[in-house]
Amino acid sequence: MDVPMAGGLAAKRGGGLPKLRELLRRQRRDSDSQNDSPDLDFVYGDADRYTAEIAEFYSYTEEPEFALGQKYFEEDFHCYVSDKWSQLDEERKRIHIFKLLDNVESAKRATRMKAARAILYLAQGVFGECSSEEDQFRWCRENVFLFYQCGVFSTFVELLCMEAENSVAASTALRKPAVSIVDSTDLRVVMSVLYSMIVTINTEDENDTEEHRQLREQFRAELSQPVHTDDSLTIVLFVMVTKFCSGHAPHFPIKKILLLLWKTVMYSLGTLTEYNNMKKIAREKAGLQPVPEETTEVARNMRASSPPTGVGDILDPQRKGLKPNKRSLVKQNGIDEPMPGEPENGDEEDENGKDNDSDEDDEIMVRPPDTPREPRVLPWTPKVREKELDNFLDHTRAKFVGYQVGSDRETLAGLPQPIHEGVGVLKKHVYVSLSELQIKREEEINKHPLSMAEETIPNNPTEILYQAMLPNLPQYMISLLKILLAAAPTSKAKTDSINILADVLPEEMPITVPQSMKLGIDVNRHKEIIVKAISALLLLLLKHFKLNHVYQFEFMSQHLVFANCIPLVLKFFNQNIQSHIATKNSIHLIDFPSCVIGDQPELTADSLEAGDNEVFCWRNVFACINLLRILNKLTKWKHSRTMMLVVFKSAPILKRALKVKQPLMQLYVLKLLKVQTKYLGRQWRKSNMKTMSAIYSKVRHRLNDDWVFGNDMDARPWDFQAEECALRACVDRFNSRRYEQTYPNKDPELESVDNNLQSVLGQCIELSEEFKRFYEVWLDREVFSTQIDWDLLLKDNIIV
Amino acid sequence: MAEEQKETVIVRRVRPGTKTEDFQNWEDQPFEDMDSTLAVQQYIQQSIANDISNVDGILAAPDGQDEGVWKYEHLRQFCLELNGIAVKLQGECNPDTCTQMTATEQWIFLCAAHKTPKECPAIDYTRHTLDGAACLLNSNKYFPSRVSIKESSVAKLGSVCRRIYRIFSHAYFHHRALFDEHENETHLCKRFTTFVTKYKLMAKDNLIVPILEETPNPTESEA
Repeated sequence: MDVPMAGGLAAKRGGGLPKLRELLRRQRRDSDSQNDSPDLDFVYGDADRYTAEIAEFYSYTEEPEFALGQKYFEEDFHCYVSDKWSQLDEERKRIHIFKLLDNVESAKRATRMKAARAILYLAQGVFGECSSEEDQFRWCRENVFLFYQCGVFSTFVELLCMEAENSVAASTALRKPAVSIVDSTDLRVVMSVLYSMIVTINTEDENDTEEHRQLREQFRAELSQPVHTDDSLTIVLFVMVTKFCSGHAPHFPIKKILLLLWKTVMYSLGTLTEYNNMKKIAREKAGLQPVPEETTEVARNMRASSPPTGVGDILDPQRKGLKPNKRSLVKQNGIDEPMPGEPENGDEEDENGKDNDSDEDDEIMVRPPDTPREPRVLPWTPKVREKELDNFLDHTRAKFVGYQVGSDRETLAGLPQPIHEGVGVLKKHVYVSLSELQIKREEEINKHPLSMAEETIPNNPTEILYQAMLPNLPQYMISLLKILLAAAPTSKAKTDSINILADVLPEEMPITVPQSMKLGIDVNRHKEIIVKAISALLLLLLKHFKLNHVYQFEFMSQHLVFANCIPLVLKFFNQNIQSHIATKNSIHLIDFPSCVIGDQPELTADSLEAGDNEVFCWRNVFACINLLRILNKLTKWKHSRTMMLVVFKSAPILKRALKVKQPLMQLYVLKLLKVQTKYLGRQWRKSNMKTMSAIYSKVRHRLNDDWVFGNDMDARPWDFQAEECALRACVDRFNSRRYEQTYPNKDPELESVDNNLQSVLGQCIELSEEFKRFYEVWLDREVFSTQIDWDLLLKDNIIV
Repeated sequence: MAEEQKETVIVRRVRPGTKTEDFQNWEDQPFEDMDSTLAVQQYIQQSIANDISNVDGILAAPDGQDEGVWKYEHLRQFCLELNGIAVKLQGECNPDTCTQMTATEQWIFLCAAHKTPKECPAIDYTRHTLDGAACLLNSNKYFPSRVSIKESSVAKLGSVCRRIYRIFSHAYFHHRALFDEHENETHLCKRFTTFVTKYKLMAKDNLIVPILEETPNPTESEA
């Protein structure tokens, strides 16, 4: 399995016999010198560096507008102050900010937008007064915090709501044959201010004072609060996205909306790093043991496996590396699997000594990152679900004892010793997830609707967001996927698809070569950023909903699946993923802020490529990993969706994605391959041994999971409809029980009896004419002349 | 009957049928003894009833008072009292003459009550702004409690202040006589100006009604 092939890839694509020979030669050389091309030096995180995140918000077409902000600011500012902004004291700055804010609320559009641009210029760090990017950053931070204290944020959110509703702009854009960047000018200015504030305030810095931290907390709380009307900023933006997709507002700057949306969700619900802590706390509260290891943490210490060969394997399947493979694979069949904590047949392993990838485990060990050899332990503690333990017990009891003992995990009577051991091992690795607890709880509530009172619904930002999204969640998901489709590099521009380029195309098409090259790069960059924003947004939402309540997650993921998210992501990966990751659709010279500080060189064809020595494009790797994680989230434990992966022939696509030498990305690909290995057939497994062993060594083992040799193709017929419907029923019941209090869906039998005198006597009862006429007779007979022993009611045992 | 109760327990209520001159005509209660959730409002209204011209006294928070709540309650009170000036304006500020919300010449303000940009006549702007402020201050989402208020909600007070100040400035620059009359009675603009300056809710330069500089004498509000 140590047949690194990365070097041979380029050659392989060329095809032909000499190429193949060259390939083999290279392979041999590679295997001598271990791995050749280094792993991608990519660090996964919540977002890119601060500067990159800010730069990506602006398209290159917008460049001339930076100066405009400066002009408007200075015109207005210097007519009554001769000092520079950076020389003012805080009080004077406040005065000017308030003055600008008054102008922002002016009824005249021109005045309003001039003031908004001036504010944007301040948020961009008064770059006209800066000599370096550090200066610019410092001023930007200072201004933005001051803005927040002066209430700029809420004013601009209101302005955004107003501009989003602006029907004049929408109808102008609708009438135009081609929308361009000019149509979204006002919106872009407002959104740029908001984005600068959100990103800058939430970026931690070593110079943070206590006040900064406090303001940050306060700001985050404000982000999830409703603005203006009853909607939070997130919902306002989601509504904008759907409006854009429906074609009613083609001028909306969709990239900016998506980036803003992603950041708003990220900072109001919590970043992925914070998510891990939230999960830890939630598990603790539920009385579950902590998560054994953090995925990103483990993957950081992993090394990328060399890409699968495909060609090489077929050419010479008997070549080295395969035999030891087989052995190690055979060994994992069944439960005699070595566990962490159990010293296991070490000497047998030594035969595999030169086999780098195969490994057995003594304990979970964190490998120092620079060790050249793969660690000889599995990176993950194996897990097993309670359900699987029960299955195992049922199965063995049926075999040895002959009957089943329902829901008893203790009694081992009549079972042979090895089974005792097996059960012991399984029990040691039982992992109960929060979702399982939530599902169980949900079942109990539905079974005992009266005695099991509704749990108190937490009032956290995620819950608030879910409730706000619930009525329109399907539309939001469809819109996001539509845009994702339009932005995917593999999709062709169709006439009927939405035009996502409105906020990048200039009014006049470029004439010179460098200009059109610039636009070409800008358009590609624009699309990449959109993919990045959507992928990160979806992943964040899925994760937070899952933590909050599994059925919230299922609701969202089901709508993603119905909107064809799975084939869409596969389609995205059905391209030369390596070159996609290595694209250079950035021009560092004209990124903000370098395009406004210092002398500006003239843009030539050469300078377009200057200043970039990265071998990969951060945002593309990030987006790929996010998409893979989404796919994993959607398919995990869902048989029917796993079968979709098989049906859509994802295996070759995913295998190609393995060529990217990034451990985290490979891990998620391998996970997706693992779940479907069973269904790919013997032939596929035979010719993909390298991938199989990579899965073995990198993906967590599920005890009792026979993913390699299981051939239960026919054992579990899959009925997509039935499975999704069953899930749907659970989700619907959850949603209606928890969120439809207004019109009770409950069984009237289960409603409590109304014994309030006021309301009982207030009820209008239709009495028949006959009754009314003989009422007095009835009274006499039934009430006055009959003795009623009321005391009987109070006795304990009334015999009816 | 009211007389009898005063002997034992003072009931601080304006009962139906109470004459104007008897409004709030009861003894002071020390702040420590106010035990309702509306203590701060009660305290503020009590100080106003005692001496409406004692602006600094009214704005001086009792010891240990939460600043957020203090600011909030004062702003509530301002909105309440601003309705007085709004009622007076209704008689004089005609939508035909004051077609726009202007103060000095350069300002025309956008009315935040509408989703699309709209220039309301001044009197409508006044009404909409007061209405909007009342909505916000009574919003269950931002201000669920009047005992403790989230910092992020306190941050919203600034923009309310800026907006309602425009009512003062419009009245001052366009309906001077009315403004002076009202100000002499209530010292409201002076109190508001002191309030926003004290808590830095607005900057000095934005307070365009010249009220603090001209009146060193606290009893006489307008020159």
